Amino acid sequence: MFRAIIDNLKGLWSLLVGLSITGRFFLSPQRTTHYPRQVDDPECLASYRGPLELVPADDEGRSRCVSCQMCVKACPGHCLTVVKGDQGKAPKTYLYDFTLCCLCAACVESCPAGAIRFSHRVYLVATSREALHLDLLADLKSRAAKEAR
Amino acid sequence: MMDLSIANFAQIIVACLLIIGLMVGNAVVMVYIERKACGFIQRRPGPYEVGPRGTIQAVCDSMKLLGKQIFIPGNVDWLLFFLAPILAFFPVLLLFLPIPFGKFLTGMRVDEGILLILAFSGIGVISNILAGWSSNNKYGLLGAARAVSQAVAYEIPMIMALLSVIFLSGTLNLSEIVERQGSWPWQWNIVCQPLAFFIYLVSLVGETNRAPFDLPEAESELTAGFHTEYSGMGFALFFLSEYANMLLVSFVCATFFLGGYKGPFLDGFWWMFIKAYLIMVFIVWIRWTFPRVRFDQLLNINWKWLLPLSIINLWVTAVVLRFV
Repeated sequence: MFRAIIDNLKGLWSLLVGLSITGRFFLSPQRTTHYPRQVDDPECLASYRGPLELVPADDEGRSRCVSCQMCVKACPGHCLTVVKGDQGKAPKTYLYDFTLCCLCAACVESCPAGAIRFSHRVYLVATSREALHLDLLADLKSRAAKEAR
Repeated sequence: MMDLSIANFAQIIVACLLIIGLMVGNAVVMVYIERKACGFIQRRPGPYEVGPRGTIQAVCDSMKLLGKQIFIPGNVDWLLFFLAPILAFFPVLLLFLPIPFGKFLTGMRVDEGILLILAFSGIGVISNILAGWSSNNKYGLLGAARAVSQAVAYEIPMIMALLSVIFLSGTLNLSEIVERQGSWPWQWNIVCQPLAFFIYLVSLVGETNRAPFDLPEAESELTAGFHTEYSGMGFALFFLSEYANMLLVSFVCATFFLGGYKGPFLDGFWWMFIKAYLIMVFIVWIRWTFPRVRFDQLLNINWKWLLPLSIINLWVTAVVLRFV
C-alpha cells in the first residue's frame, strides 16, 4: 500500500521532470535550417559523398589524370568515359554519368594518380537526366576560373 | 429559471452565433499553436512557409478540408453516419451558453449552469459511439468502445472535483462561483482546493481524449479510432468539436479554480481567455511530452487513484465546511 503510494509519487515526479525537459527544449534554439534561405555549415558537409570531381593539379585547371582507364574498369555502373588526349597523358574527355553512379568509391580507390575524389555538392538538383551527365574537365576548369577570380 | 421573452431569445441566438465564431476561430488558432508548440519542443520551426511564419497554414488546411470529397464506404448506416458528426458539433454550442466570459457577458444566465454542462457533455460520447458503430469498421468500433469506457470513467472524478468547489461556494451558478472568488491569485479556489484542481486537470485530459489519454483515436493502433471512415466535412466537424470541448473544459477550469474573468488590476473577459488558453497550451505541452498510456493503465489511474482521492477530498471539504 505505502509502497504503491511512494511509487506513484515517484512517477508523478518523473512526469514533472519530463515536462521540464520538453519545456527547456521549447525555449532552446532550433536545430533545423530553412533550406532555401539558409545553408548548412561547410564543416558539416566534409564527409558528404557528392558526385565525383577531378582533383586539380595546378591553378590553371589541369587535371592529375593520366588516362590509365583504371577507374573506367573499376566502375561497376559503367558511368565513366575517359578518352586520352593527343599530346601527353592528359585526357581529352572525362565524362561522368551521375544517374548511373552508386557512389561506391571504387574509382577513387583504383586511381593511381589520386585524380578523382567526391565533391561536397549537397544541393545539386536537376530537372532532366541530361543535366546529370557531367563533363568533369569542364567542371574542373570552371572551378579553377572561379578560384582565380 | 429564466423567462423566455423575445429579448432573451434574441440574446441566446446572438450568443450562439458568437460561440460558433469562437469555436471555428479557436480550432484554427489551436491547430497553429499545436503545430508550432510541437515543432519547438522537437527543436524545429513547425509550419513556416505559408504566410509570415506559417500563420496562414491552419487556414489553408481548413480550406483543403472543405474542398475534400466526402468518401462513404459501403455498408455504413447512412442516417447514423451523417448524424454522428452533427451530434458531436451542435451540443457543444449549448455547453458554452452558461459560461460567464465576463461580468455581464454570458450567453444564458442559469442557476444550474454546471449541471447543464455536465449533463449535455454526455451527448459527445453518444456521437462517438454512433460514429464508431455506423461506419462498420473494426477500428471505429474499438475506438468507440474505448471512448465510452474512458469518458464514463473520467467523468466521475471530474464531477467529484467540481463538487468540492460547489460545496465551497454553495451554488451551481457559474457566475456566482466566479463572484465568490477574488481578483488576486491567493483569493482563487485553487488555493483551498489544490487537490481538486489537480484531479480536474488530469481528468479533463482524459475527458477530451487528448494525449497521453488519446486511446479512442490512437493513431498507431486504431488508425484514427471512431472517425477512421470520415473525410472532408464529417472529419472537420469532429475536429472542431474536439477543440471546442478542449476550450470548454479549459473555461470551466478557469471559472472553478482560477477566478474566471477576475484577475489582477482589471477584471474582464481577457483574463478568462488568457487563463483558458494557458490551460490549453499546458494540454498541448503534455501531449508532446508523454507517451500514450496503455488502456489498463488509463483505467487504473482513474479507478485506483483519482476516484478515491476525489472522494477523500470531497469528504474533507464537507467536514471542514460543516464543523469549522
